[in-house]
Amino acid sequence: MSQTTETRRAGSRKLLSAGRKLATSLAVIATTLLGLLIITFVVGRMIPADPVIAVVGDQADQSTYDRVYKEMGLDRPIYVQFGSYLADIVRLDFGQSHVTKNQVASDLARVFPATLELATLATIIGAGFGVPLGILSAVRKGTWVDHVARIVGLLGHSTPIFWIGTTVILIFYANFGVIPAGGRIDIYNEGLVEGPTNSLIVDSLLAGEWDVFWSALHHVIAPALILGYAAMAYLSRMSRSFMLEQLRQEYILTARAKGLGTRPIIWRHAFRNIRVQLLTVVALAYCGLLDGTVLIETVFSWPGLGQYLTSALFFADMNAVLGSVLLIGIISIAINLLSDIVYRFIDPRTR
Amino acid sequence: MLRRHVILLSSIAALSLCAPGLALAATPKDQLVVAMDTSSLRGLDPNEINQLEAAEIVANLYERLIVLPADNISKPQPGIAESWTVSPDGKTFTFKIRSGVKFHSGNPLTAKDVEWSLRRLVKLGLAPSTDLRQWGFTADNVEKLIRATDGSTVVVETPEVWNSNLILYSLASFSTSILDSKFLADKDKGGDMGREFLQTADAGSGPYTLRTWRVNELIIADAFKDYWQGEPKMRRVLLRHIPESSAQRLQIDAGDADVATRLSSTDLGALETGGKVTIQKTPGFGFYYLALNQKDEILSKPKVREAFRYLIDYDGLAGTVMKYYGIKQQTIVPAGLPGAIDKNPYKLDIEKAKQLLTEAGYPNGFSKVYYATPVTPEYEVAQSLQANAAKAGIKLDLQGGDHIGKFRNRQFEIFSARSGDRLPDPHAVLQSYATNANNTDEAKLVGLNAWRTAWDVPKEIQQMVTAAAHETDQSKRVGLYTKINEAYLASSPALVTSFLRTDAKAVRNEVKGYIGHSTWLTRWDTVNKGN
Repeated sequence: MSQTTETRRAGSRKLLSAGRKLATSLAVIATTLLGLLIITFVVGRMIPADPVIAVVGDQADQSTYDRVYKEMGLDRPIYVQFGSYLADIVRLDFGQSHVTKNQVASDLARVFPATLELATLATIIGAGFGVPLGILSAVRKGTWVDHVARIVGLLGHSTPIFWIGTTVILIFYANFGVIPAGGRIDIYNEGLVEGPTNSLIVDSLLAGEWDVFWSALHHVIAPALILGYAAMAYLSRMSRSFMLEQLRQEYILTARAKGLGTRPIIWRHAFRNIRVQLLTVVALAYCGLLDGTVLIETVFSWPGLGQYLTSALFFADMNAVLGSVLLIGIISIAINLLSDIVYRFIDPRTR
Repeated sequence: MLRRHVILLSSIAALSLCAPGLALAATPKDQLVVAMDTSSLRGLDPNEINQLEAAEIVANLYERLIVLPADNISKPQPGIAESWTVSPDGKTFTFKIRSGVKFHSGNPLTAKDVEWSLRRLVKLGLAPSTDLRQWGFTADNVEKLIRATDGSTVVVETPEVWNSNLILYSLASFSTSILDSKFLADKDKGGDMGREFLQTADAGSGPYTLRTWRVNELIIADAFKDYWQGEPKMRRVLLRHIPESSAQRLQIDAGDADVATRLSSTDLGALETGGKVTIQKTPGFGFYYLALNQKDEILSKPKVREAFRYLIDYDGLAGTVMKYYGIKQQTIVPAGLPGAIDKNPYKLDIEKAKQLLTEAGYPNGFSKVYYATPVTPEYEVAQSLQANAAKAGIKLDLQGGDHIGKFRNRQFEIFSARSGDRLPDPHAVLQSYATNANNTDEAKLVGLNAWRTAWDVPKEIQQMVTAAAHETDQSKRVGLYTKINEAYLASSPALVTSFLRTDAKAVRNEVKGYIGHSTWLTRWDTVNKGN
């Protein structure tokens, strides 16, 4: 037996195991999404709203009602309906929304970037303030800095977000007039920039439309700060406890004993060891923000996924509901996978 | 490092908050901004929609044969029809079509377009087709009965003799809007006569053209330069989706919106005292009603039904939650229409209700499930009834949610909601509340509230309703409706009316000419902002 055969075998074994791993994770993802769809489908059927009435109106006569009932395929058994829905999905057809009359896919392409824009900014704000704040309060444990940081965090964690939203609008819009009341952009800048990403901030930058860019930024900042504050509360609490745990470890004591300064100890040693955990909670917070912006979207009339999903639920618009849920599921999985990849990259132990 | 980050981020935040040139300005003089709740808006096909917000938009994108002016809604005025005649037997209506009217596409509006549009409404058979179908038009007879006899004449023949106002009013409804048949000819998809295309586009001749529609976000309409009555003053009309009442209130107060259409009584009250805004209360042709299912043994007892009339706090509600949303009315012909009477004999009287319950054989009361729509002011009214009923021994298990489907299928015990009709004539309300030709489950007359309530309306009332619709003598009609009204009140109905619906809008003082319309056809081309 030559060495090359041995290597080749090892190589193919590796490839096989990698393949198996990939297949397993794909199967897990597919099962998760399928489960998500089944639950949503069943729950959707239990909503006490009649999708046919939502389409034909309360006063429609029975023949109209029956016709639309059939058109919508509701006369078929529920598993047949679900089956045909799945078959459509495989062909990347998410069906038509009864409410908007558009293809669900094109609706999502329009509303999701609005939410993505908001959630991304909120995550940046939340992590940008929350992580340093948490670390600071761990390092200064027991001092007034720690207390203040914890109170700020506690407030952010326990105050209802719509209440903060309404209060902010009341103070900064109604009284001081420094923020707009709602929407993504000033009405007069409407329609100046369209596509390609449907994120007004990005699109206006790409198009070099500065007025639109400022207007979009101006509109996003209040809701993003509020959401970011809630995320910050969570992230600062988590990073504080991660950091405290590290600071209790022996290697820190050793480093201190060796005479290393506080800064290098915190940043070069302790922080390196909590990066992976932090990344996980930031990813979690991001996922949470993507599907948890409903209230803030309502308060700020932000035309995003949250509003879309709420109105779809209200009118029993099942294609839109399923499409949105599927999208949230896929995005959550994607963010998790991405954070997985990133921490393999930064933490050799997980490779 | 940490400090640097914090400083950087906070300066970005501060900068964007105070960015120059972004100070909030009032809406420009030549644009009208309306705050709406557009979440139930689906499509803008005039032959498909059936809802207030959509109707207002369609009213401005399209035009109709006849106009009912907001300030004198029962007087039909020429629209696309320059003039009309009614044959002596009352069955044939001949309309002379105005010349020189252009569609947004540039095509001239002809009698052919009118013929095509009216036929389309009947043939599609969607919810608003009732406007013509109730007079006997069907997909089979419409080709024969509605026809263009030359380039500028349209003849509409009715299968039976109806009071001519009923027909004329129907031809003023948003559903009978005139569509550009030539333009739509190549937009047909599988025989839908352009239905799919018209969801998000318009093919009208109205003062405004649809520019942008982003669902649940924004609708922009531009003034139509070639409008036959001259270009409207407002260059653009922007309808913003703002579902929250408090958000609408703040924006109209700050001047970011000119009109707000979905405000709670509290917010309307606060705006009214603020002085920058006028509150318009537009009377509608519907009622806040309580439906008692007559399939239920207890509720079918006339004395029990009567008892419920004493459990509604008419006066208490009128001054609070219903201040902007309704006018106390216990009779069935909407105030202001022929045959209306000013009679409200009932008031909250728990003792009287108890006495009636005892007489009916339920001295200890009973309990029932009560479905109500969880929106203001309907839910507040329901809660008030629940509290009063409890005092009389009736335990109401109040359940919010969308139960209209169950109401349609007679699967409820007690249900309350509000209705809205678009025909400025007593017939619209009476047909639904006081006729039920066949009270069996199989009949499925789901369009009628009386059938839904399983109420076998007294035959003499039903006969009078039918007779009044066919009556061509106006003074005889008024007499009939007065009689119906009295008879309905005396019948201890299963459909209890408490308040006549009004729709409240807040309009900023500088906005002139935005007038709420009882049949939902508020015009934008009459609006100016003092320029």
